[in-house]
Order: sequence, then structure tokens, then C-alpha cells
Amino acid sequence: MIGLLLYLLVGVGLLVFLWVLTRRKGAPVEGCGRQFVEARQALRTLQLGLLPENLIQRIFDREDFRYVMAVSPANIGELFLQERKRISLMWVRRVRCEIRNLMRFHLNYSRLHAKLSLLTEIRLALDFALLLLACRALRILLYMRGPYGAGALVGVLTAAAGRVCAASEKSLAFLNPSALESFRRSSAGDGAAI
Amino acid sequence: MDVLAAADDLRRRTLVEMTQPLERLIYLASTRDYNTGLYYHDGLALRFSEEAACEALAGCHREAFEELVDASLEELVHELEAYLHSTRVAPNDFIVAWKGLEPYRVAVPVGIDSLSSELVFSNLKVALAILEARLTTRTRPGASRHRSPVQ
Repeated sequence: MIGLLLYLLVGVGLLVFLWVLTRRKGAPVEGCGRQFVEARQALRTLQLGLLPENLIQRIFDREDFRYVMAVSPANIGELFLQERKRISLMWVRRVRCEIRNLMRFHLNYSRLHAKLSLLTEIRLALDFALLLLACRALRILLYMRGPYGAGALVGVLTAAAGRVCAASEKSLAFLNPSALESFRRSSAGDGAAI
Repeated sequence: MDVLAAADDLRRRTLVEMTQPLERLIYLASTRDYNTGLYYHDGLALRFSEEAACEALAGCHREAFEELVDASLEELVHELEAYLHSTRVAPNDFIVAWKGLEPYRVAVPVGIDSLSSELVFSNLKVALAILEARLTTRTRPGASRHRSPVQ
């Protein structure tokens, strides 16, 4: 009797497992153009808006702080630190958000279109994990120690973000104008237009 | 090609007088129509075309803003001070108006990332505080006697 019950339980378990598998949404091959455009947008925002070296240097530059402390009263120094903390936290939040967008794209769609090697995929997964962890740690440090309390971690985060951007660039390379142009040229012979 | 020539002309004839990026930013933002986002400059449009003038003004506007993003706080304080003197407004009135109205918020070119603009706004806020502190330590001969509209 106990044996029968056990078999029944296993059977029900398998049925539930099958039901869950059928309910899972797979990545649709067709109609995912929007996700590619969003991923491209996230990549552009990271590369041009959030990760340029001069911008990061400006946000975390200690010279500004030294200058404020040298020429103005303490209350302005406090105002400056508050403002810089707000900006640095905003930077981390935005980087994390765009990284998550790219990660979602890689999880769902890039495997359908890009031929990434297993090693590259493992490296990418590690970089995403490192990035999300670094973002969280950086936020805590910035909250606790202010904008100048996490210099090394900023370097780690930007380096990992750079690697992820480079890998994503490869996955999305076919959306570049030059790639589109070559596709247009090759399709022109058949009278097809894109 | 027309756009490059128009931008070059704009730099040589008009912007050459404005040595500070902040001054250029405010001027170029003032040539933009708030309702359409298009830039207008009669002289430039006559010499080239309206489209080329618009593109050239937009390009120079973006350039001025990027210079402000790259500026250190010390440079920004100097720029703000130079701009204040160029306006010939009483310093206290200027600071009250800029702190209250924050006119620089409407001077951001299209397509600039919000983080860059927030960094510039934040630096300008601190730069204004530094200038204000400097003014209060000095005597105030230039202060206007009439009420500022922002007060």
C-alpha cells in the first residue's frame, strides 16, 4: 500500500512538472525585434551615457571636494557631499538597471541569434553576477561612506561593465548600420527591400 | 557639408565673443523654440539654409553642454562668475534668480543623458552656493535696491 502511494505521488509530481514545463514561456523567435531594440538602447545608454571615462572621473573626482573644502564654509562642503552622493547613487542605480536589461536580453534572446561559445557564455554569466553584486555593494558603501568611499569598487564595476558591453556589442552587431547596409546590398539583387 | 560650414561660421562670427561654455550654452538655448525644439538664427539661415542653421546651432549647443559636463567645480565657479559679470545684473539679484528659477534646467540640449544633466545641475547648485558665500563675505555695493521677482 505504501509502495503504491509512493508511485502515485511520483506520478502526480511528474504530471505537475510537465504542466509547469508546458506553462513556461519560451523565447519567441518571431516578434522579438522590440527586445533587440531595447537591448541596443540599453547598450548605447551604458556606452555613451553612463560609462564614459570622463563622466565617471568627474563624478568621483576628489579634487572637487578638496576645492570646496578649501574655499567655502563647512555647510557648503556638506551640500557638496550630499549632492555628489545623490549623483553617484543615481549612477549606480542607472548602471544596474541597464545591466539587468542586457542580462534579460542575453537570457532570453541572444542565444537565438548570436553564436557565442560556451566559454564566452560562462564568462558573461560570471560578469553579470559580479556586476550585480558590485552594484549592490557599491550602493551600500556609497550610502554609508559617501561618494569617495568606494573608489576601487567603482573601477571593478566599470571594468566588468565594459566586458559585458563588448560581448553584447557582438550579439547586437547585426543591428549596426554597416551590417544593415551589407544586408541591404545583398538583398537588392532580388528586389527585396528592408 | 552645409552644416559644417554653418557651424564654423557660427563659431567664428558669434560664439568667438563668448569664451565661457556656460555663456554659449545660455545663448544657444535661447535660440531654440520651446514649442518645436528647433533652433533659429536669421543671419545663419540667410547665409546657409534654415535646416543647416538649425543643425549647426544644435551641434554647438551640445558641444557647449559637454564642455560643462567635463568642467571641474573650480572651473564652473569661474565660469559662473564670468557669466555673472557679463550679464551686468546685480550679483545678489542674479544669485536669487538663478537659485529660485534654475534657468539652466531649460538649457539642456536634446539627447543628453539625464545623469550628465543632473551632474551639471548639481555642480551649478554648489557653484552658486560658493559664489553666494563669497558675496556675503564681501561688501555689497552692487546689490540692487528693488525687489527681485523671485523673492
